[in-house]
Amino acid sequence: MKIKNKVYITTTSSITCAGNNNEELFKNICENNTGIKKNTDYFHVNEPSIGKINSEKSFYENLLIQCNNILNNSNIDSFKDTLLIIGSSVGGMSNTENSFFTTNDYKSVDVTQHNIHSVSLFLNNHFNFYDDISFSTACTSSANAIGYAQEVLSKGIYKNALVLGIDSLCKTTVGGFISLGVLSDECCQPFDKNRKGMNVSEAIACLLLQTEKTDSCIEVCGVGYSSDAYHMTQPHPDGSKNAMMNALKASNLDHTQIDYINAHGTGTLANDTSEANAIFSVFPNNPYVSSTKSITGHTLGAAGALEAIISCMVIKKQLIPSNSFLNEVENEDINLSLENINQEVNYVLSNSFAFGGNNCSLVFGSAK
Amino acid sequence: MKINLEILNSAFICDKIEIAELNTKTLVPKMMTRRRLTRAAKIAIYLSNEVNSNNERIIYGSSFGELKSSATILNNINNEETISPTVFQNSVYNTAVSYLSMLTSNKNEILTISSGDNTSLNVLKTAAIKALDGDEILVMVTETLNIEKIEELNNCIDYLECGVALKVKVTTKDANLSFSNIQNPNNYPKSILHMLHIAMNQDKNIIEINI
Repeated sequence: MKIKNKVYITTTSSITCAGNNNEELFKNICENNTGIKKNTDYFHVNEPSIGKINSEKSFYENLLIQCNNILNNSNIDSFKDTLLIIGSSVGGMSNTENSFFTTNDYKSVDVTQHNIHSVSLFLNNHFNFYDDISFSTACTSSANAIGYAQEVLSKGIYKNALVLGIDSLCKTTVGGFISLGVLSDECCQPFDKNRKGMNVSEAIACLLLQTEKTDSCIEVCGVGYSSDAYHMTQPHPDGSKNAMMNALKASNLDHTQIDYINAHGTGTLANDTSEANAIFSVFPNNPYVSSTKSITGHTLGAAGALEAIISCMVIKKQLIPSNSFLNEVENEDINLSLENINQEVNYVLSNSFAFGGNNCSLVFGSAK
Repeated sequence: MKINLEILNSAFICDKIEIAELNTKTLVPKMMTRRRLTRAAKIAIYLSNEVNSNNERIIYGSSFGELKSSATILNNINNEETISPTVFQNSVYNTAVSYLSMLTSNKNEILTISSGDNTSLNVLKTAAIKALDGDEILVMVTETLNIEKIEELNNCIDYLECGVALKVKVTTKDANLSFSNIQNPNNYPKSILHMLHIAMNQDKNIIEINI
């Protein structure tokens, strides 16, 4: 089936450790104001640095605020014609932890609030969505959700899609990444020789995708998927290379047309080395590359949606952010931005990679 | 929108406690790999072989994901024990199909859906939309709920380990199977019901998916 419709991101809203809205977030990225802080709420050992949302409201209250922001700032007044697409790695795990660690048994655990679908159930109690679906592919969850939204809208199956990238911090994820030995006790430094690892983080990132063009919307030009078929946690360079090449092909773009790459850039040696090599092999023309995770942390299942919003802002503001806290560049083959750069930005590629070798690259462009 | 899917191959396997034989030693000869597999991964590998999968795109679903890994981590934290890195990496919802992709060198698009009781229906909807591109798609759903003290959580599911796999493609032929009269007298997990219904009706091979 041939693609029929162009698909646009028309309205976005986010809350992260680095800002309670998109503008705050982008300002902090450009000014190197990180939201990552040392935190012992989850584990006392190792004192990991993590990214917690700074808000007096609960996580679920903030979720409702983000969805209402979409309604208030878009051309729709309800979600009755909108497909809800959730991308989340842990869903309601923090609800389960709260119950289990209080009673030391499962009797008080509400299974409907445990799994990924718990987010949809919560939102359907407050809004009337046309239908909903939830993707959970670890750290590519919401990138894949955007990919699915682009596909169903371009094929003319739905009118609107609300993509929601969402993950809250919990002991399981913080403890799990400690066990892998990849958490940094400082703010992460992707692509730096002296990197110490990654920062786990939480975020809610909402994007309304529509087939109808609006003022200042951004086009989702193409999506590329691939699987490494290699290792559960170690990336294979060819996997991410294939995802980027597939995204370029789906976008009908040449590699020279990409102006900026928002890297997955977690700050782990395994990711950064593999991603840098893959970027160099696909983009020998050296477009600017940066990771924004030193400001936001790695928001896991929410990362794809959050970095899609950042990519949209790069195009809208024609401003490529620097790699914050990058002191000693490890891989000279890729063109890491060392300062904020004002230049014409027509197309941005955003990478998301996950456990199991699941890769998704998204291409965004100024709507023409 | 309505899309008719032709069921090219189907297989299912279920047990009230634990499926006894998944042929894992034959299907996964390397012991080190085999030892890392979760129950859901073993079921996915078994079913993939049963439907003669040939590196199609895969749409996989599970409502509860890797429950045993999650429960192990919760108990480790509660008892102030070290979390195993292998258990943590095996706790993500896409674990089962990731191992399958490694075993079969499948570098295609592989998605994992978790939509509660509607999981297998949403897997079919997604497969139907993707199959409009003209290729054959492997759809799979598993639930592996056989964890210690599951009775504290479960009072409605009799079959704790289940999996269904279908190989599908879009067809213009008329449907001879529908979801209108799905029953669940044996208390299978609701999350697998739509696909189980198809797999149990092997004399009929065309289902209409309403999107």
